[in-house]
Amino acid sequence: MAMLREILDPNFLLRNSVHISLLVGFAAPLVGMYLFLRRLVFMGVALPQISSCGIAFAFALQGWGLLRHAHETAGERALALLGSTVFTLAAIAVFAALERRGRGSPEARIGAFYVLAGAMSILLLVKNPFGEHGMLDMLKGEIIAVSNGELMFTAAIFLIVTVPIIAFRKHFLMVSFDREMALTLKKRVLFWDALLFTLIGMTISTSVLSVGPLVTFGFLLLPPLIAHQFAATMRQFALISSAMGGLTAFTGFALAYRWDLPVGATDVALLGAVLAVSFVLKKLL
Amino acid sequence: MHSDVLVQLENVSVGYPRHVVLAGITLGIRRGTFTGLLGSNGSGKSTLLKTIVGIIPPLEGKLTWNPEVRIGYVPQRDLLDSIYLLSSLEVVTMVTKGEKQWALECMEATGSANLARKRFSQMSGGQKQRVLIARALATRPEFLVLDEPTAGIDPGAASAIMDLLDKIHEKRLTILMVSHDLALVRGHAERVIWLHNGKLDEGPANEMLSRERVLEIFELDLG
Repeated sequence: MAMLREILDPNFLLRNSVHISLLVGFAAPLVGMYLFLRRLVFMGVALPQISSCGIAFAFALQGWGLLRHAHETAGERALALLGSTVFTLAAIAVFAALERRGRGSPEARIGAFYVLAGAMSILLLVKNPFGEHGMLDMLKGEIIAVSNGELMFTAAIFLIVTVPIIAFRKHFLMVSFDREMALTLKKRVLFWDALLFTLIGMTISTSVLSVGPLVTFGFLLLPPLIAHQFAATMRQFALISSAMGGLTAFTGFALAYRWDLPVGATDVALLGAVLAVSFVLKKLL
Repeated sequence: MHSDVLVQLENVSVGYPRHVVLAGITLGIRRGTFTGLLGSNGSGKSTLLKTIVGIIPPLEGKLTWNPEVRIGYVPQRDLLDSIYLLSSLEVVTMVTKGEKQWALECMEATGSANLARKRFSQMSGGQKQRVLIARALATRPEFLVLDEPTAGIDPGAASAIMDLLDKIHEKRLTILMVSHDLALVRGHAERVIWLHNGKLDEGPANEMLSRERVLEIFELDLG
């Protein structure tokens, strides 16, 4: 209890880490549920990896002398976000274009992109004197040093993403679940699809930048996996997913703080445990 | 285009890039008719249907819709597996502007109001079909287009679905329905379109489904 009081104290040293975990925990499942329902779970694994490859690439540009080294944190962060966002959105565009051509297996394509992005991230990092340290922390999911600026920025992006995700949910549902019906109703299917995937891309790139690819993947997909077992409607599905993400993010942080564990890995392991318990509960009910 | 015609195809080719399924199709669907679209597997029935409703653009030729026509589309049920999480009321409300009452009225009209809170994935084939017809009706259509509404459903449920379509047709809705089931189409449709060997043949149901015509078509299809 004393530990909880300490974490909830406004002067707690790691309060920004708690807040950023909560932001990712609440927001990521709201976009992750579309990946889950559209059967694009693999994409939820590959995109965070591609996003972190984008960050590594942006830092590599500095290492190669093609970009001036940004000495201040805000400059580095902007560069990382640019790399992350460009790679994520480009990957989404490439996946969509290949999907429209309808050739080959989507899983194989996504799997290939995933391993290539992972390998590229490592290669770009080991030869980069500027980005290596911070990137390795990020890849491990160490959510410790979060500045006020980073926190505000992440909160702003998640607000920008969450508002349209909620406001336009009917359109997103329609193009996600019944594209053919949407076409017969003369809906702008391409526009709504593009908007949804842009929001997914923004969430993933911001989240990867804040908490790393492992935690991003965990919060994108595990809360919806838990929620779908109990939700009877889409509203319940969204609420349970988001609440489960937020609750696990907080509990995971507390456990990691208590036992001095990496926050990201603790969050994901906890989500896995909740998923296992929920599965057993569902079988018993 | 004559005002009595809802959809007109003139010399239309349908299919996908680099794969023409049907070519040179000329066809008009008249207001107030109940038409069955028949043909063997792979004859292009569903592709033609999707072109008529605007899902697949024609590869060639001219496709014209009557400017006022609203199309209600009922896809094949198995294409909608991904909506397994939604309740049937959500499936219907999805196409309305949040008009829950109207969605419930449409479900009432198709005998599916009692299933409103049930998950779509947990329903039988016949129940799903009623919900999907309710959803199409919720778009306030003048022209109802159905892709194999009785496929994979037991005979009793299939017959009930056809009776429901008759009732809908009595309210002046135009119906176009793809089916494999000659007997069902014979008992309900006024007009029939046959697709065989890449050709389209259209006429009154009694003529198109006469024994001689059916034998002729199947012999052609068999080779």
